[in-house]
Amino acid sequence: MSAVVHAHPQSGPVLGVAGPAKNKRVLSEAGHRGQWWRFTAILLITAIVLVPIMVTVVLAFTPGPNSTATGLTFENLSNVFSTTLAATWLQNSLVTTLSTVVVSVAVAAPAGYVLSRGRSKAVSGYSLLLFVMQSLPVITSVVPLFILFAAMGLVDNLMGLTIIYVGSTMTVATWMMAAYFDSIPISLEEASWIDGCSVFGSFTKVVLRNSLPGILSTAIFAFLLAWNDYLVAIVFLRSNEIFTLPMGVQSFFQQNNTDWSGVMALAVIMMLPPVIVFATLNKYFSVGGIGGSLAGR
Amino acid sequence: MSSTTAPSGLARARRGLAPGGSGGGSPQPGQNRKSKLSAQTSRTFFWLLLPSVVLLVLIHGYPLFQAGVQATHNGNLIQTGDFVGIENFQSVLASPAFWKAAQFTLLFTIVGVFGSWAVGLGLALLLRTKIPAGGTFKVLLLLPWVVPIVVSSTAWNWLVATPDSLVPSLYRNLGLGTPLFLADPTLAAVTVMIFKVWVSFPFMMMMISAALASVDSTVYEAASMDGATRFQQFSQITLPLIARSTYISWILMTIFCVNDFPTIYLLTGGGPVDATTSLVVLAYRTVFQDFTTGPGVAIAFLMTMTLVVISVLLYRQIRKSSVE
Repeated sequence: MSAVVHAHPQSGPVLGVAGPAKNKRVLSEAGHRGQWWRFTAILLITAIVLVPIMVTVVLAFTPGPNSTATGLTFENLSNVFSTTLAATWLQNSLVTTLSTVVVSVAVAAPAGYVLSRGRSKAVSGYSLLLFVMQSLPVITSVVPLFILFAAMGLVDNLMGLTIIYVGSTMTVATWMMAAYFDSIPISLEEASWIDGCSVFGSFTKVVLRNSLPGILSTAIFAFLLAWNDYLVAIVFLRSNEIFTLPMGVQSFFQQNNTDWSGVMALAVIMMLPPVIVFATLNKYFSVGGIGGSLAGR
Repeated sequence: MSSTTAPSGLARARRGLAPGGSGGGSPQPGQNRKSKLSAQTSRTFFWLLLPSVVLLVLIHGYPLFQAGVQATHNGNLIQTGDFVGIENFQSVLASPAFWKAAQFTLLFTIVGVFGSWAVGLGLALLLRTKIPAGGTFKVLLLLPWVVPIVVSSTAWNWLVATPDSLVPSLYRNLGLGTPLFLADPTLAAVTVMIFKVWVSFPFMMMMISAALASVDSTVYEAASMDGATRFQQFSQITLPLIARSTYISWILMTIFCVNDFPTIYLLTGGGPVDATTSLVVLAYRTVFQDFTTGPGVAIAFLMTMTLVVISVLLYRQIRKSSVE
């Protein structure tokens, strides 16, 4: 099981990042020559692949058409924050995303523990149910939820948005946590029971305490999903001051003349957090974990 | 839960808590016997699972049920309307727009899955061998996936949208005319698919790299000593060894492609003349632009059924492979 959601190197090579690469190839003479065309090829491909991202960064820091500035400038950034609601959008995105991360982990960790340790028909049935639910198109549940949330005053509301994000992350997040808990030996818990610890106690004191990498990768997954979401935002957000960053960036295109300097400046702000998270917490990422984040798109 | 576990309870709890159990509750060798959880353990399990179940019912169960209601009514976002049975499904299945969208979704999915797989495989193989700064390239090549889709679609728009954009200008300067990437139906479809491959190949690259990393290189050394050519090594060793993860990644990517909304919607909005309208985009527009929930939800339902079949297939494959 647990393929989609490998949160941990030890949980196997199905989808997860398999253990340390043991296959350092001994380069022969021919291999050594081959190295250089490979390097050139990968350099060229990477350069081409990164053109859209480089364009974003370059445009964000070069003076716009109506600007008198020369060279690299932070003018676009300061303009976008002073002339649009960018600061509010950024704040909305941060609040929604961080709440999603916290609640997702708080819900998924205990449930994942039961999935990992429990052996009954009910538990395995629930596991299958979670798995099937994660592949459902968001569009199916969005319409009924819109009607329900409209009645509850949760449309155009950051809390409503958060609830849906938690709902869409919880399926994969639970699997991720379960996969991680699988890698924690039961003997650790047995020792704590002998000391008189309850099952709940061993979960919080022994298992959770040893699960930082698993929790982190789950948190990263929830973070990416909430930060990047566009579909739920476009359905549930109506007014400018409730927009999250994706809606903020998109709002530039409603004008006839797109302010490219502004939109690119905001785009750079928006891509920074995931890139920073990715760069610093790289090792906690796993293929399956991020894979799941795409399922929500 | 705070009560101390008595030795007898402990023994039962220990049986309940199988060592190294897998989340799916899949049978492990020697673990087939059904064991009863102790009362304390099952009580704890109940409370630990409760928030998750409540959320699942609220965010997945209830909407799915309501979607069933709406799909069989002729309502809108304000009123449920009258019961019409399977009329919505009939009208959806009879409309050319649905089949056009289904056709595009199919093509988009095929190109998305195999395009990103081919690119991902090529790059994973290139990066497998030792090259200078290989790790840096690996990280840089993941960026298309890490960068939010709203950001990358903005950049792609800037690159191709108007005749004066960078890529059309380059074409003009090369004397190849000025292609209208997002205004011509065929070109727009091609552009959206290339964009999708650009977004998705890092996922495939990671999957394949992970699978390749677990392959022992001595296999290749033995093969090349036996005189196997590069191509033979690739088709006889590499492909079979990554087959399982390839299969899983294909199914996952299929789910991602079918469900994909922003990649298409942000770049073309489904246009021009519906050329890039996928089923999700069609469902979205039917509900939120034409304000008819019935047919929109019916489309979503048809997609749901297809995806449930795909994900059950995937689930079985995963459980099978975890037993191996």
